[in-house]
Amino acid sequence: MSVVSLQGVTKRYGETRAVDDVSFDLHENRIHGLLGRNGAGKSTAMRMLTGQEVPTSGRIRVFGENPYENADVLQRVCFIKESQRYPDIFIARHALEAAAMVFPNWDQDFADRLVDEFRLPLKQRVRKLSRGQLSSVGVIIGLAARAPLTLFDEPYLGLDAVARQAFYDHLIADYAEHPRTIVLSTHLIDEVADIIEHVTVIDRGRIVMDDSSENLRSQAVTVSGPTKAVEQFSDGHDVLHREDLGGFTRVLLAGVPSERETASLQVEPVSLQQLVVRTTQFHDAELAGAGNGPGNSNGTGKGDRS
Amino acid sequence: MTQLVKVARIQLVNARMVLGLPLLVLACVLAANIVIFMAIQAPESPGDAPMTGALISVYIVTLVTHVQTMTQMFPFALGLSITRRDFVASAGLVVVGQALLYGVIIWVMSLIEGATGGWGLDLAMFDLAFLQQSNVVTQILVYTGPFLLLSFAGLWTGIVYQRWGQPGVWVLMLSLGALLVGLLALIGWQDWWQPVFDFFAETSTLVLFAVYPAVIAAVLAAATYATSRRAVP
Repeated sequence: MSVVSLQGVTKRYGETRAVDDVSFDLHENRIHGLLGRNGAGKSTAMRMLTGQEVPTSGRIRVFGENPYENADVLQRVCFIKESQRYPDIFIARHALEAAAMVFPNWDQDFADRLVDEFRLPLKQRVRKLSRGQLSSVGVIIGLAARAPLTLFDEPYLGLDAVARQAFYDHLIADYAEHPRTIVLSTHLIDEVADIIEHVTVIDRGRIVMDDSSENLRSQAVTVSGPTKAVEQFSDGHDVLHREDLGGFTRVLLAGVPSERETASLQVEPVSLQQLVVRTTQFHDAELAGAGNGPGNSNGTGKGDRS
Repeated sequence: MTQLVKVARIQLVNARMVLGLPLLVLACVLAANIVIFMAIQAPESPGDAPMTGALISVYIVTLVTHVQTMTQMFPFALGLSITRRDFVASAGLVVVGQALLYGVIIWVMSLIEGATGGWGLDLAMFDLAFLQQSNVVTQILVYTGPFLLLSFAGLWTGIVYQRWGQPGVWVLMLSLGALLVGLLALIGWQDWWQPVFDFFAETSTLVLFAVYPAVIAAVLAAATYATSRRAVP
């Protein structure tokens, strides 16, 4: 079942299209990765589906309703963002107390444990908190709120590796006990690759990838070997990236190659990060190619993978 | 309603700061005034009772506090999935409650002022002659009215900043300034000064300090709500 649905959603700021005719769904009780470069439109999309911004055009449904100014929908939504500001008069404890009042599923014991683990100084003025401590305030709220739809937008700026791992561990453990729909938006793709079950990649306001991690993982491979053999092998598939060295070639392919002669070739799985980066670059190059007129784009690329 | 109370409680999660700071300022201003008047009164003849306009400080502090309600608490509340409508409504609830509370406190202070012989100096800071009412309720309302006006003015200014940023606040202030200058020019040009003075002289203190401010406050509240609709945290 889909919890969130965006259909043809566009958000324009003056001349820029931050989000351009985007359609995707978020499924119930699944961990989604919303990935993309800075300024790709991830945050704008999340702000719209939490009712904080209004789309220029298109249709957004969250739990079947328009989220804008919809208290019934929003009380089931928790949106943790890196840029969240807290009132200057707050100490850290006030932010958690406020969250406890708002979210119906709030688990105070869980919050207390997380405060210990992240070593959050509760009596510290919010203004005096370090970047990492500020991030842990958001992370604690996001986890303890147990909102049916929880979005994390770059939630861990300034958090050290141990704290990030603690976040992932708690997220997975708590998700197993209390399933919900989670969206993780981050640049640290490698770190979340094992957590996210569905990947949506947005670039220049457009969706360039939207599939389950499993499909993506099984479909993408790097193939290396003698140039001729590699070219034969990759014929008919999307070549997202190509490196040539002497007579050897290494390509990143999307779409599972059927059983072919691989004796002289080395076929390896691709990390999610590599796949996302190369797909984004591929998309960018295509756009640039389109600007130079027809026929200029990579001949082997088909643009869409299904 | 429960939702409004909940959101109001979030605004008051640090009640000591929100409600206490203006009162702290008031206490400091009172202390400062007592010291100043003790210093300057000693050699002077104890003829007419001195009066101070220092009471206005608590009203100004309240205005500033509520600018921050919108520039700081509003983005936080929306970050907690609270709707603009609920936030503005509960901010209104907090403002009205706070204005009444402060009205009562100032009335109590005026009683203390009377009982202590003007803080022992015959000083009038709360029990100001032009505000005096014959009945407790209207007396409190006279103190409350300006709080309502200034608090909602603060809320609106704050949400204008959230909605249009610094330029929005400049436009707002310049427009208000232009309006005021235009009004003064019009009065001067039409030679309306006498009727204007008469209006202020003839209007009762209650209407001038409670009824009109409350009406303007209601207009400002509506403006705050309208502006908040497209404000982004």
